[in-house]
Amino acid sequence: MSKTIKFKLISVFSFISFLIIWQICTDVLHLLPPYSLPSPIKTFSTFFVKISSTSPDGSVLPIHILASLQVALLGFLSGAVLGTPLGITMAWNKKFDMMVKPVFDLLRTIPPIGWIPIMILLLGIGTQAKVALIFVSSFVPCVINSYTGIKQTSHIHFWVGQTFGATNSQLLRKIAIPTALPFIFTGLRVSLSVAWMSLVAAELLAATRGLGYMIQIARTIGRADIIVLGMLLIGSIGGVLSILLEYVENKFVKGGV
Amino acid sequence: MKRVFTKEKVQMALWGIIGLMSILLIWQISVMVTSLGRIMPEPIEVVKSFLISSIKPVGRYTLLQHMLFSLLRVFVGFSLSGVSGIILGIAMGRSKTINSIASPIFNMVRPIPGVAWIPLAILWFGIGETTKYFIIFMGGFAQVVVNTMSGARKVDKTLVGAARMLGANKRQEFFRIVIPSSVPYIFAGLQISLSTSWMAVLAAEMVSSYKGSGWIIITGMNNGNTVQILVGMISIGVVGLGLANLMRIIERRLCSWRIQGQ
Repeated sequence: MSKTIKFKLISVFSFISFLIIWQICTDVLHLLPPYSLPSPIKTFSTFFVKISSTSPDGSVLPIHILASLQVALLGFLSGAVLGTPLGITMAWNKKFDMMVKPVFDLLRTIPPIGWIPIMILLLGIGTQAKVALIFVSSFVPCVINSYTGIKQTSHIHFWVGQTFGATNSQLLRKIAIPTALPFIFTGLRVSLSVAWMSLVAAELLAATRGLGYMIQIARTIGRADIIVLGMLLIGSIGGVLSILLEYVENKFVKGGV
Repeated sequence: MKRVFTKEKVQMALWGIIGLMSILLIWQISVMVTSLGRIMPEPIEVVKSFLISSIKPVGRYTLLQHMLFSLLRVFVGFSLSGVSGIILGIAMGRSKTINSIASPIFNMVRPIPGVAWIPLAILWFGIGETTKYFIIFMGGFAQVVVNTMSGARKVDKTLVGAARMLGANKRQEFFRIVIPSSVPYIFAGLQISLSTSWMAVLAAEMVSSYKGSGWIIITGMNNGNTVQILVGMISIGVVGLGLANLMRIIERRLCSWRIQGQ
């Protein structure tokens, strides 16, 4: 018991000393100019200023966050809703699998970020292009994971089902899908983090609002405090999203692997 | 029974060709019939341009040279993140003190995707090669640390106990038991990290560069040259596939005992 407290204390101490060293290097000793690394206090105060201030990029912080979240969730949900059934169908129907797999294998080798230019060229720099991009990037892990999940269902379980006279659709709904659920959720988790990352990349290249756009504009005018703030927000929102998904997973998946 | 062309394989190839053909046909028809033809080229044109640009330079270099430049960047950044990630991961997995010192800072940095480091990296290092190495490093580092850490933690206690009973010292215990049993986890981490590195280099090149695969597609976008974008995408896909297979081959060599056991 006292050992856990000791390690907790070390953690707290290390974090605080990290902040203090950072503060000393920037504000006290001025080892680095403020346009390349802001002090933690400056970053913290920028957060409160940026909530209501539109400078320098034309929108307040909540608008940027909402814009990014909206696009990310829209793309992620459509990718998951279409990708998971496709993976299940591919694993369940042999002919369909043989027909679609080569095409899918070809498309999935291209990383999500490689899709950005063509999407922007075809759909413009608005929401459409970004949703399409995130759709592609979250679609692929969903398909792969639900496919593997169904494929690794134990044959013995199927035999038991068949012995008791289960129909094909019953085999799928009662045996294969429940077995595959943990895999499907892993796929969703991977998709979500990939989706969030490719959204930031897309916003760096072409956007009018969003967190990626905010840090890109801040770079061009040398406002490192906004960049660091934006990065921390991107990190923590990504973390919160994956915690939420884990919560949903624990509700749905019974037993576990 | 050493017939290579079983009925199943022939059927598989046949259906695969039908699938690919129908995609190409849909592409061809939609370009010819709808207004998509104004921005999308025909598939044959892309293949032709791909072959031409392997010899004729795009910008300053040929397609192959651009791919090599990107690969070189990935190689440097990935080696750095791999080596330091494995060291930090094992240290955090084996020592509770190091873990409790490093984990609060690590957990703050970990969820930030490599791509989000681009603006800060440009402010710090300019737009040269160092920036790209740094972005690739940040993109791949966290994944290696997380996987190595869980590998180093999941070492079988019975094995460690047996080694101690047989009189192994600390060093032997570490090199003979801990390292080999975390190798599969390390490889899983390296594999993910390599594909993220490949993505990070593209993003870095798209934001600021004058060579590399990311440069090809972003210049294609800026000039409205769809053929060039598609050629770039094909080359990116080929390299990505090659990298993934390379890792799998290395893993099969180094962890053969595990793959046979599965």
